[in-house]
Amino acid sequence: MSEATLSTKTKTTRIALVGNPNVGKSTLFNYLTGLNQKIGNYPGVTVDKKSGSVQINGESFEILDLPGTYSLFPNSEDEIIAHRVLNQTRLEAKPDYVLMIIDSSQLSRGLFLATQLIDLGINLALILNMADLAEKRNLEIKTFELFKSLGVPILSTDARNQKGLEDVKNLISQRNFNKAQPFIDIQQVVPAEMLLRVKEKFDLDNLYQAYQMIRFGTKDKAIPASDRTYLEDLIHSSNFDLEEAQLEETKIRYQKITDLVTRALFKQSESKPTSNLDQVFLHPVFGYVIFIGILLLIFQSIFTWASYPMDLIDGLFADISSSIAGLLPDGPLTRLLAEGVIPGIGGVVIFIPQIAMLFGFLAILEDTGYMSRVVFLMDRWMRPFGLHGKSIVPLVSGVACAIPGVMAARNISNWKEKMITILVTPLMSCSARLPVYIILIGLTVPDEVVLGFINLQALALLSLYLLGIFGVLGTSLLLKFILKTTEKSFLLSELPPYRIPRWSDVGLTMIEKSKTFVVEAGKVILAISIVLWVLASYGPPSRMDQIRMEGEARLENVSDEAQIAEIEAETSSYLLENSFIGIMGRAIEPVIKPLGYDWKIGIALITSFAAREVFVSTMATIYSIGGDIEDDLTIREKLDQQINANTGEKTFNVASSFSLMVFYVFAMQCMSTVAVVKRETKSWKWPLIQTAYMTVLAYVMAFITYQIFS
Amino acid sequence: MTADTLPLNRSGKIVEILSSPLKINLMELGFLPGRQIMLQHQAPAGGPMAFLMDETLLALRKSEAALIRVELI
Repeated sequence: MSEATLSTKTKTTRIALVGNPNVGKSTLFNYLTGLNQKIGNYPGVTVDKKSGSVQINGESFEILDLPGTYSLFPNSEDEIIAHRVLNQTRLEAKPDYVLMIIDSSQLSRGLFLATQLIDLGINLALILNMADLAEKRNLEIKTFELFKSLGVPILSTDARNQKGLEDVKNLISQRNFNKAQPFIDIQQVVPAEMLLRVKEKFDLDNLYQAYQMIRFGTKDKAIPASDRTYLEDLIHSSNFDLEEAQLEETKIRYQKITDLVTRALFKQSESKPTSNLDQVFLHPVFGYVIFIGILLLIFQSIFTWASYPMDLIDGLFADISSSIAGLLPDGPLTRLLAEGVIPGIGGVVIFIPQIAMLFGFLAILEDTGYMSRVVFLMDRWMRPFGLHGKSIVPLVSGVACAIPGVMAARNISNWKEKMITILVTPLMSCSARLPVYIILIGLTVPDEVVLGFINLQALALLSLYLLGIFGVLGTSLLLKFILKTTEKSFLLSELPPYRIPRWSDVGLTMIEKSKTFVVEAGKVILAISIVLWVLASYGPPSRMDQIRMEGEARLENVSDEAQIAEIEAETSSYLLENSFIGIMGRAIEPVIKPLGYDWKIGIALITSFAAREVFVSTMATIYSIGGDIEDDLTIREKLDQQINANTGEKTFNVASSFSLMVFYVFAMQCMSTVAVVKRETKSWKWPLIQTAYMTVLAYVMAFITYQIFS
Repeated sequence: MTADTLPLNRSGKIVEILSSPLKINLMELGFLPGRQIMLQHQAPAGGPMAFLMDETLLALRKSEAALIRVELI
């Protein structure tokens, strides 16, 4: 761009993309904006604001991707946003033009929203997408007939197969949009006098805007309270039935659309719907078998494939840390960088492989049309717990990692069902709990086979996973009665035809989700990990200095390498015990004593709030296990020898170990999840409530467990 | 009869949509008097039902299908 155009500071033209769900809107958005996308916020709701920019013939356009909606009637948060932007209530910057995408094979449903937009007086153009599907169904659309009746420009595209997309760019750059004459006369439904009064009072452009204001203005918190009272009084005094009017509008509109479609749609011959696949995928028995098979396949791949990049990232950040420590002069700042900041960033980056892969798989399932079948199959089993069929995706993802699980809950449109799903997903036993489970099971459960084929250790592990699932169901059930909403839960969705996934969209989803996580949740994770590092590395200076000096003094007379390592390990153990975290660990000992833990475990509980697997490395430091902490046997032997000073028994006996495992099943113990819940709910309230309830639950369950086994 | 009692693979013609907060949602999806729907799939244990309407497969809960009054054809 030349400097001249930059300095003129002309306002960028804003174009909003609108459409029903599953019409290829995001494919078009991705095509136009590519990687120039950004995610922002709408005030007061949890829906993300997706926008991007595109350069056409040297000119820049801003594209706003509105959530999919069937009408202008705001039923869910998604639709409220679409409603708000399109009605141009002063809250949102108004788009200059609106581009609406219609599924060619679902013409009348698309026209329902399109004609509402026309009535609002929006500068509009229509895109008849999925031309391939219409062709498959032997449908021929007389575009000119539509244009004559609607009065807005119409394009035909096949975004999936990249057909007609250049035309879309041309249409945008030529600003080939039009404000057409109203499609229906709203005065048929609402008294004209009332419409006129509202139109004048709020300075609106036309009567349909006035109707929208009357119908929904009283519920829109973005409108000043005095104006809302005005509307309420007006509706009340004229004894006007709003809902009846809305139904009447719907009827009239669909009637006119049906007439139009009869004229504009030419059906060459009857076609058979291709639903053979559903005979298998929706089968009452095989449907579930296939679903479980697909899940196993996905987890298998995530566990095998994600471990390679994760090890790589782990190693890379360890290398960076040690080279920084080696290159820079030793001091507090270097240590902060090498031991706090770099591992903190590493702790964020390490989640990317799992997040990207899980969302890659989810995008494939979504894009092929299979995901809506899963919702169909699971809804019945989720509903009794206050969950939605769509909740199955977050919950199942939670077995790998709660973070992508919580992020996937966004697809649930009902607020209450979404909140319950987000609140319980971290109770699913994720992969980070596995190292803790394994080491504690190894300590206390004999590796024996009973009844001929049941391995006791495997049985213990399975029990922990089941315990997590029971936790999910029980908590959901409880939340179902606690959380209140006026939104009605519904399924009502399309089962789109099966299609081959669009790989570029899958790729973009993977990038976008990873980026969102790193940028939004990363900040919080980094901040907490630095705080935890400071607390673990610093303590009252006099004590800490003394320990360091003692350690150095002991090292002076020693030359044997094994001995040096042992002394160094003991020194870092003392340091941790006397650090602020160590002091905190001692401070909480009275609280955790009833669970069978001593203060050393208390320290590990605090440090492992960063991430559960940190428990293992903290244990290694506290019990001064030098060398390779990856070596399970060393750490296990060391732990087995520890004696609890309070009880005189083994620190990790059956009762305390079981209690500890149960604690980890239920406790939040993951700052990344906290950060992601904060980002998804757009407030600190929910992650705090969640951490509190999970900690209490963990405490109570661990207490019961300890009492049973001791 | 209502759509939730429609036998599998049988069609019905929509007579009316019964009053409920979901009436408008059903109508905006195209469930309108005069249209034909055919029950194609039924999830087990009283789970959702999938109806074919105008060559689109639409999933509804049983309680939602009960809002659609149909006559068997």
